Amino acid sequence: MSAARALFLACLLLGSLLSATQAVAQVAAPGVSDREIVVGSILDLSGPAALLGAPVRDGMLLRFEDANAAGGVHGRKLRLVVEDAGYDPKRGVLAARKLLQRDQVFAFLANLGTPVVMATMPAIVDAGRLHLFPFSPHESTYSPLHPLKFQMFPPYQDYMEAATRHMVKSRGYSRACLLYQDDDYGLEVMKGVESGLAKLGQRLVERTAYKRGATDFSSQIARLRSARCDLVVLATVVRETVAAMTEARRNGWAVDMLVSASGYSSQTHELGGAAVEGLFGVSVLPLPYADGAPPRLAAWIGRYHKRFGADPNVWSVMGYVLADLFVRGAEQAGPELTTARFTAAMERLHTDGDFLGSPGYRFSPQDHLGSRQGRLAQIRNGRWVMLTDYLE
Amino acid sequence: MGVPVKPGRAEAADIAARNDSPAAAGIVRASFCRPLAGPALAALALPLACLLLGTDYALGQATLVATYAIAGLGVVLIVGQAGQIVLGQGALVALGAYAEALLAAVGWPPLLSLPVAVALGACGGAIASLPARRLGGLYFGMSTLAFALVVEEVLTRWSGLTQGAAGMLVPAFGGGGWRAQTPLAQFLVSLVALALAWMACRRLLRSRLGRAWRAIREDEAAAAACGIDLARTKSAAFILGGGVSAFGGAFYAHWIGFISPEQFGLMLSFELLMLVFLGGVGRLSGALWGALVIVAVPQLIAVARDALPGEGVGSAGLETALFGAVIVALVLWRLRGEKRRGGSLR
Repeated sequence: MSAARALFLACLLLGSLLSATQAVAQVAAPGVSDREIVVGSILDLSGPAALLGAPVRDGMLLRFEDANAAGGVHGRKLRLVVEDAGYDPKRGVLAARKLLQRDQVFAFLANLGTPVVMATMPAIVDAGRLHLFPFSPHESTYSPLHPLKFQMFPPYQDYMEAATRHMVKSRGYSRACLLYQDDDYGLEVMKGVESGLAKLGQRLVERTAYKRGATDFSSQIARLRSARCDLVVLATVVRETVAAMTEARRNGWAVDMLVSASGYSSQTHELGGAAVEGLFGVSVLPLPYADGAPPRLAAWIGRYHKRFGADPNVWSVMGYVLADLFVRGAEQAGPELTTARFTAAMERLHTDGDFLGSPGYRFSPQDHLGSRQGRLAQIRNGRWVMLTDYLE
Repeated sequence: MGVPVKPGRAEAADIAARNDSPAAAGIVRASFCRPLAGPALAALALPLACLLLGTDYALGQATLVATYAIAGLGVVLIVGQAGQIVLGQGALVALGAYAEALLAAVGWPPLLSLPVAVALGACGGAIASLPARRLGGLYFGMSTLAFALVVEEVLTRWSGLTQGAAGMLVPAFGGGGWRAQTPLAQFLVSLVALALAWMACRRLLRSRLGRAWRAIREDEAAAAACGIDLARTKSAAFILGGGVSAFGGAFYAHWIGFISPEQFGLMLSFELLMLVFLGGVGRLSGALWGALVIVAVPQLIAVARDALPGEGVGSAGLETALFGAVIVALVLWRLRGEKRRGGSLR
């Protein structure tokens, strides 16, 4: 026992020594020097969401490289440090500590996945660093109001409410149903759909869940069909959207389906082919199609392809747009960049859409959520076509 | 497993403890001190890590290493000592994490909530061990896998209590006006917890029950012939192993601060199994070494990656490949070491 006790005492002593040295180490605004601004991001470059993480990173890199090529932000170059969490909160916590202490980042940008975001956000905010535009539908990323937290992605609940309302009102559906993923994402979409229907005096006629990663939807589709639904809202991701719609069409059920922004992807029509023709979807940022793109967008797609050897997708657009918001905030904050100045600049930031088709983002001292809107799209002839502008 | 081998250190100590010779005393001393060499080395590595990585970052890693090691100790009891295959230990960690999170949320102090978390893990272990009365080997392992799936499903469905898939926030560890919010405080708490779990496990290993577990592990028929009640002894391993893992889960919930059912899926169960096999499933120190590899090595690789020339941000595949290479190298190294000593890889 004495060895164990000695070990414990040694660690105690060591700990107190280290905490003393740590207190001395922290001085001026972290991550900002005369030459550069260091920005951190915890993304999924491996694990279940790796397909999202890589294009988001590339989109951010491209925007930062554009800013650096134009002389930087007030003469400071932007440097992005990316850590891979693989959707594992344990790795996320350690990555956040690394970025906080070793890399001394000024802000965290686009951290990905609710478990990772929820596990890392307290440590980031406690350390006085900005927590900007995470990929998580959780309300705590922008509410209650906190000077270090900003969000630009509209909550599923808000845009699904508007989309459901618009669909039901304009197309006269009376028996709306829901197929949802059995997690926080599915529940958020459900709340939005229920709220949209309630405003029109309707209720969900049937709802049925599936577990993440499911490939067989025969029982769910049979259940929805027996409920005689005339609109099926899908709280699914790409593969599940394709599987559910293929199952319905195979059984000769030509019901209209509306998928959330998680199913709004070029992979949906690439994988689904004819089976997903006519699928409605909600878009919070449009897909960058090279065919028929306006010159500025076409040039952007070309540059992205040249830089990363792959075509950009909607995640690349998201990465670029959120990095653009950061650059604008840092520019407005002025040459003496501090966290407080950045927050004040962000609270005044109003944007008016751009060549990528983003909505206008509006932040204020009372509201740190930049957008609550999505727009309706539909798959026609093998590509997504916009049907409406951003819905209020 | 299942192949008789010469007695290990613990067995030698059991035999030696019944003799009074100086040689026997030496074996007892060696058997007691050698497992502590691991923790001592780990403690020496900590200042170095703090200097290299930064204090908070290193302490954060050490906290999670200690917490995973506690969860791993539960697997050592069940797999390493009693020789049972468990593929669903993550569920027992989950029970501890959820019990602690729910009780801490309503203001229970750790001194009250931790025993409840441990008790719930022990109950889970008892339920998971029920099929052992009829099934053996891999079939029983499969039943523990099913148990883990059921627990994850219940945690997801019982949203009135657990907030389901949306997950729940967990307050910082502490009570009576004190909270472990700094990395240092969290590290010290997890170190004390590891020391407590470690001492409890050591006592168990040296007890009659520990000897019975090892007897079952080596040869069930022979153990039964010696009068050991197989079903009860196996159940005891699951109950105690479940309690220890749940104890680790309780701290995990506090350190991560947000728990959701998906965190305790099969991936965690396999991670824990990998952890103890990498560290050495037959020894308590195996849990600590394994935790060090599972938690700290990916982080060290991330730090080393930053030092590489070229674009650090584009090398995610490199990290995973390097981690895989480290695991393979470790297994080969352990295999050679064990062969040299004439034992098997456990």
